[in-house]
Amino acid sequence: MTLWFVRGLRRGVVTTRYPARPDESAALLPSPPAFRPRALTEDTARRLVQACPGGALQLARNAALLFDVGRCTACGRCAAAAPDAVTRSGAWELAASTRSVLIKEIPLRGEAR
Amino acid sequence: MTTELTATGAPRVVPGAVTTFQVASPDLEAVVRDLHGLRLADMFAGGSGGSSPRAGGAATDGDAPTLRLVWANDAGEGQSGYVITETQIDGTEYPALSDVAPAAFVEECEIYEQFGIRPATGKPLNRVMLPPHTDLPTLGRKPAREPDEVRAPHAVAGEAFEFPFGPVRQAGVESLYYGLVTSGEEIVDVYLFTWHKHRGLEWRLAGKTPEQALFLAERAEGLSAVAVGWALAAAVESATGTTPPEAAQRTRAVALELERLYNHAAAMAALCQSTGLSVGQSAAEIALERLLRLNARALGHRYLFGVVAPGGACRAPDSGAIRGELPGAYGEFRRAADALLATNSFVDRLEATGTLTSAQAAALGMVGPVARATGLAGDARLVPGGPYDPDAGGPGAGIRVATATAGDALARFTVMLAEAAESVRLIGQFLDAGPFFDARTAAGIAELRQTAGGTGLGWAESPRGEALAWVALDGDGRISRARLRPASARNWRGFDDACRSGNVFTDVPIIEASFWLTAAGMAR
Repeated sequence: MTLWFVRGLRRGVVTTRYPARPDESAALLPSPPAFRPRALTEDTARRLVQACPGGALQLARNAALLFDVGRCTACGRCAAAAPDAVTRSGAWELAASTRSVLIKEIPLRGEAR
Repeated sequence: MTTELTATGAPRVVPGAVTTFQVASPDLEAVVRDLHGLRLADMFAGGSGGSSPRAGGAATDGDAPTLRLVWANDAGEGQSGYVITETQIDGTEYPALSDVAPAAFVEECEIYEQFGIRPATGKPLNRVMLPPHTDLPTLGRKPAREPDEVRAPHAVAGEAFEFPFGPVRQAGVESLYYGLVTSGEEIVDVYLFTWHKHRGLEWRLAGKTPEQALFLAERAEGLSAVAVGWALAAAVESATGTTPPEAAQRTRAVALELERLYNHAAAMAALCQSTGLSVGQSAAEIALERLLRLNARALGHRYLFGVVAPGGACRAPDSGAIRGELPGAYGEFRRAADALLATNSFVDRLEATGTLTSAQAAALGMVGPVARATGLAGDARLVPGGPYDPDAGGPGAGIRVATATAGDALARFTVMLAEAAESVRLIGQFLDAGPFFDARTAAGIAELRQTAGGTGLGWAESPRGEALAWVALDGDGRISRARLRPASARNWRGFDDACRSGNVFTDVPIIEASFWLTAAGMAR
């Protein structure tokens, strides 16, 4: 046991300085998509809805795309299906106090809201 | 290849191939006796083939399900192929196969929950996937009469009592209920309830395209995402006659070995936790974290989700990142392992704990490190036809399958350590074998061939052992029935035998860590 004590001391602290300084590996974490409404046509939106395996994307009746962050697994299939309209947001510190805040309405092109 | 198999016709196993035999229902029991030299790898019902799918897996009356038994040929050196027997079940009962092959029992229970057909002897069945309050069955027709025992609580009598533990246990551990039957300290029996994690995945897979199905298959057992995903992708490729590009096969193999490395590091951390060695646990977790970060850097996801695709691979490994970081991360792993093996108090706790004999492991159809620690040398990577093909002379040829003989927790741990070393060697060989592909294009994916429907079996050696998947595709290329069999679904049935081998309460966490299974893979 003494040996393990010495080993532990010798190894020192390996935890990162988060949140003061996030570790650079944070950039590698999967993140939910960010949408470019200008490139988001209705046709593209339909493709995105089809590509989303978690059902996080739905077409709203009023020509908008509903994005439920709570159902998003950050799998990246939407960004692969329409790279012009969708990118990785890079956001991984996600929190909300109510469920409804997680549902975003993204206007489609030409339908400013 | 499909032929008729009767009770007297001994099967001829073609290496590297999946051989399918039709067996008449009255002959089934005798055929199972004849096939006893092979390992029963899986048993499931449903999926009449490509011609008449049940859309959405909906229950239909009068549709006779097909009972399929998958046998692996492990005999001698390595593993040379699979045999599938297909039997039409016209009534509500079939021969009680677990009386002949004990490895079939859990599947008999599952098939009852999914299709409402049961072994003919009226033997009691356990609830495996579905909680007792849910309705049966999920995929097939209603049983004519529901037997009493499916909703009856089990009873513990005499001097023994049941010590309930779970389903909520320590932080961050899967939901799993242990009923530890004891007369004081020694474990007499163990009841496992895994259904808290049941997600009805096989039911959900019906009607999906292979791409959609792969998303769910990766999540059947997240810690084996590559292996289960690969098994499903291989099953779809076999059903459609598609061959993935060579570089995509190597990509899958690199991901599979990275998955094995991080799982074995996590198992080592769990073993330290179960033996109260917190500094050792931290040392193993440092190695684990470095391996997970390497996964993210090399293949875009810490748990390697989204690498495998039907027809190939979506991402190519970053060879530079792996070459740069793997030696350091593995060095961390090895230092922790060496220090643990030199710690008597750790080794003593593992030695003679949770012992399985090779006869028990063979009878129960154990796979992976649990089987190999008893001396059985089966390994799905050795089946010809993949990137590990032993005869093709490729980069994965010449795998050294690690085995031990003691069958205890220490043997499982040493097998895992030897496998980790082998994984590092294999990753180097796969990287050296040639360039990968540009992942921004679809160069790593071969388009699935259009067929009129068909069936296929796929396999991959996960960190816990052989993962199997079987699919039936309809004419649109959608799945009409998919069967997922992660290694956990096999190995949990050896867990209670291991617990009963003269162990006390405090040995259970050690045995669980040394098996390194998931409840999700069992309950799926």
